[in-house]
Amino acid sequence: VTALGEFALWIALPISFWGMAMGFVGGRQGRGDLILSGERSVYVVFALLAIASLAITNAFLTDQFQYYYVANYSNRDLDTYFKLSGLWAGQRGSLVFWAVLLAFFASITVFQNRNKNREFMPYVVGVLQGILGFFLVVLLFAKVNPFQQLGFVPPDGAGLNPQLQNYWMTIHPPVLYLGFTAFAIPFSFAMASLMIGRTDSRWIVVTRRWTLVSWFFLTNGIIFGMRWAYEELGWGGYWFWDPVENASLLPWLTATAFLHSIMIQENRGMLKIWNMSLVLLTFLLTIFATFLTRSGLIESVHSFAQNTSIALVFLAFMGSIFIASVILIIYRLPGLRAENQIESFLSREAAFLFNNLVLLGAAFAVLWGTIFPLVSEAATGQPVAVGPPFFNRVNIPIGLILLALTGIGPVIAWRRATRRNLKRNFAIPVILGLVVVAVFLAMGARNGYALATFGISTFVLAIVATEFWKGTRARARIEGEGFGPALIHLIGRNRRRWGGYIVHVGVVLIFTAFAGSAFDVEVRKVLNPGETVTVASPFGHTYTLVYEGISSSVEENFDQWVALMSVQRNGERVGAMTTSRRFYRVNRQMVTEVGIRSTALEDLYVILADVEDFEGMVGNDPNAQRIVVQVMVNPLVGWIWYGGVIITIGALIALWPVAEARRRSAALEPAMAGGS
Amino acid sequence: MMVILGALLLVGISVFLILQPIVAGREAPLWSSGEEPTEAQFRKRVSLLQLRDAEYEFAMGKLGETDYEMLRRELSAEALAAIREEEAEAEGRTSADYAEASADIEDEIAQVRIRLRGGSFCSECGHPNPGGSRFCAECGTPLRVPEPSGQGQA
Repeated sequence: VTALGEFALWIALPISFWGMAMGFVGGRQGRGDLILSGERSVYVVFALLAIASLAITNAFLTDQFQYYYVANYSNRDLDTYFKLSGLWAGQRGSLVFWAVLLAFFASITVFQNRNKNREFMPYVVGVLQGILGFFLVVLLFAKVNPFQQLGFVPPDGAGLNPQLQNYWMTIHPPVLYLGFTAFAIPFSFAMASLMIGRTDSRWIVVTRRWTLVSWFFLTNGIIFGMRWAYEELGWGGYWFWDPVENASLLPWLTATAFLHSIMIQENRGMLKIWNMSLVLLTFLLTIFATFLTRSGLIESVHSFAQNTSIALVFLAFMGSIFIASVILIIYRLPGLRAENQIESFLSREAAFLFNNLVLLGAAFAVLWGTIFPLVSEAATGQPVAVGPPFFNRVNIPIGLILLALTGIGPVIAWRRATRRNLKRNFAIPVILGLVVVAVFLAMGARNGYALATFGISTFVLAIVATEFWKGTRARARIEGEGFGPALIHLIGRNRRRWGGYIVHVGVVLIFTAFAGSAFDVEVRKVLNPGETVTVASPFGHTYTLVYEGISSSVEENFDQWVALMSVQRNGERVGAMTTSRRFYRVNRQMVTEVGIRSTALEDLYVILADVEDFEGMVGNDPNAQRIVVQVMVNPLVGWIWYGGVIITIGALIALWPVAEARRRSAALEPAMAGGS
Repeated sequence: MMVILGALLLVGISVFLILQPIVAGREAPLWSSGEEPTEAQFRKRVSLLQLRDAEYEFAMGKLGETDYEMLRRELSAEALAAIREEEAEAEGRTSADYAEASADIEDEIAQVRIRLRGGSFCSECGHPNPGGSRFCAECGTPLRVPEPSGQGQA
């Protein structure tokens, strides 16, 4: 079965190029048969890539170590769960995985549009097959064939990197990749739109749901990645401004900008060139992220791949996409002129534009910091690492501006807002925000950025709450409904607006959590059994941990030392927790598994930093139980995950298909279900 | 052996699927069959939705009265222009298309009624005024305050 996988890739390669040619030629000549052939080729390539993916997964499950890829990312004793995720554990499989997801989305697109948007479809097929063809070329010719054989069968594989043996790691990459690949759909429609010379907002209307789907997956993919880093890397944080983290953040920043700026185009017919540029930039950044993650070009905690020959191929691909797109945009420039102008600085379009510039500024800063080591190495021969201080210094102020805009944007009217009305709408939220800052100051908080975050967060929450309250009240009054039904109907009438507001609430929670990290507390102590370590929470109470003892065990894939601690809060026993170290035998690597005790307000985070005498412990020497622990209290960190859940709810509300729209076919659905 | 057979099968099916349309002359539709909005329809929708938005923003106190009135007039003019254009486009269509068009017009009427819910027409000039207005925005005639009614659905 596995051997068929490689054949499938080889068959898919010419078929994707065939599909690309059929799409472009069929569209150009108006030949329905060629177009149908092109559309069929999308399904065929998807089926073939699915066969290849299954073949790889099968090779993992059946321990076929004659394959280089399997031998390097698995071993016999590896948990089946992680063997199943072997497809995206390394560079080679990831590329297949990327391609199969894209082919899947492309198939959905072709199927959805079998009777709709026909003038776009030949070119959409052409663009998507071109991208798929590129990935197939890389897979088969850039020395990254996942089916490459070693020529002998090793008795066991080299094992999966222990840090990847974490359940978040099994979902974080797929979710992120879903986000990356889904964005190819808006990109393909944008390019198709330029090719056929249709410069209105139709492509945006057709693909805005795809954009939202992509954004939704990107957001959750990034949050899952933070969760993985928090649980697995064991240093108490969740974001390191690591090149690979940055690479996933970059398309998120530009996609967020795009998500907002398309509303201006839909409503006001402005920013057409800008939106084309953003869709191009975001697509290129998703490719860049895929490539950076899997190229090992820049030192990174994630660099689980070391093949730089692939770098040139990727750069060439990104370069040609960029040049082709820019030529298309320039060619269609006359049709892309704005239909309107911004009427007032105090308008929602101005606020959105500002939000776009700030997001782009952040993206540029992150990109610069990420590639600076490469640039400096090329220029001076010395790679200069750019660390978290640079990113924090630049991005915290930018983040605060964005946070404020999540509250300001919704209150400003389209076209022109009135100063007096703004004052009235902002007065109470601003006062509430200042009160919160004052309260925190009184409580002794002195971190300026954190205080600003808490104040602005309160301001945004107050504004969103007011919006919901006013809208519900107005609806209840006009329709004579109860408040419950009024709220539900209100959201139902304009799900994009209210879903968006809910997403903003999630963003506020996440920012608050970031600010909370300014108050992290950390204690490091050597402990013998029976000894205690005490740590004071910034919320005023203290935790006392009693080290009860350590036990060792031999598990299937690793040896493990588990330290047991009982936890007292203000002297009162509240439970027990463990923290451990694992030695992965096949990889010969030691990793820590932190113990986390979460409450709504804070996490108690215990790292088993060292076990002094592993040997003595195995021999049950009672004097060999000395350990070093690092105990942290991380306030508000859980709010990141809660924020993620709220963002998910908001995004689903905005995404959920409307019954009405289903009835009258999505084509006639309002351009912009009413602003927001 | 099995692998070779499997591979041949894959090649066969794939090639058949992509060549069959060309050989047998099967075609994908070149044009959309469903109702796809024309550019005029599209602009009409955008204008009407912006009207709805402006109305909402006015009701929520984000838009001043004079600005709202100005916006409303501009947007109504835009919508009207788009509707005229759409009608011009619709001429020469089949009767089935007309049935569809009239459904759309009903939709517009519903939209306008929603917009005017709670508002009143001026007794002098017939200008529609938003709810709560005491004087006509067009000619200044005092308006009779309509009886509050809970008749909900438009």
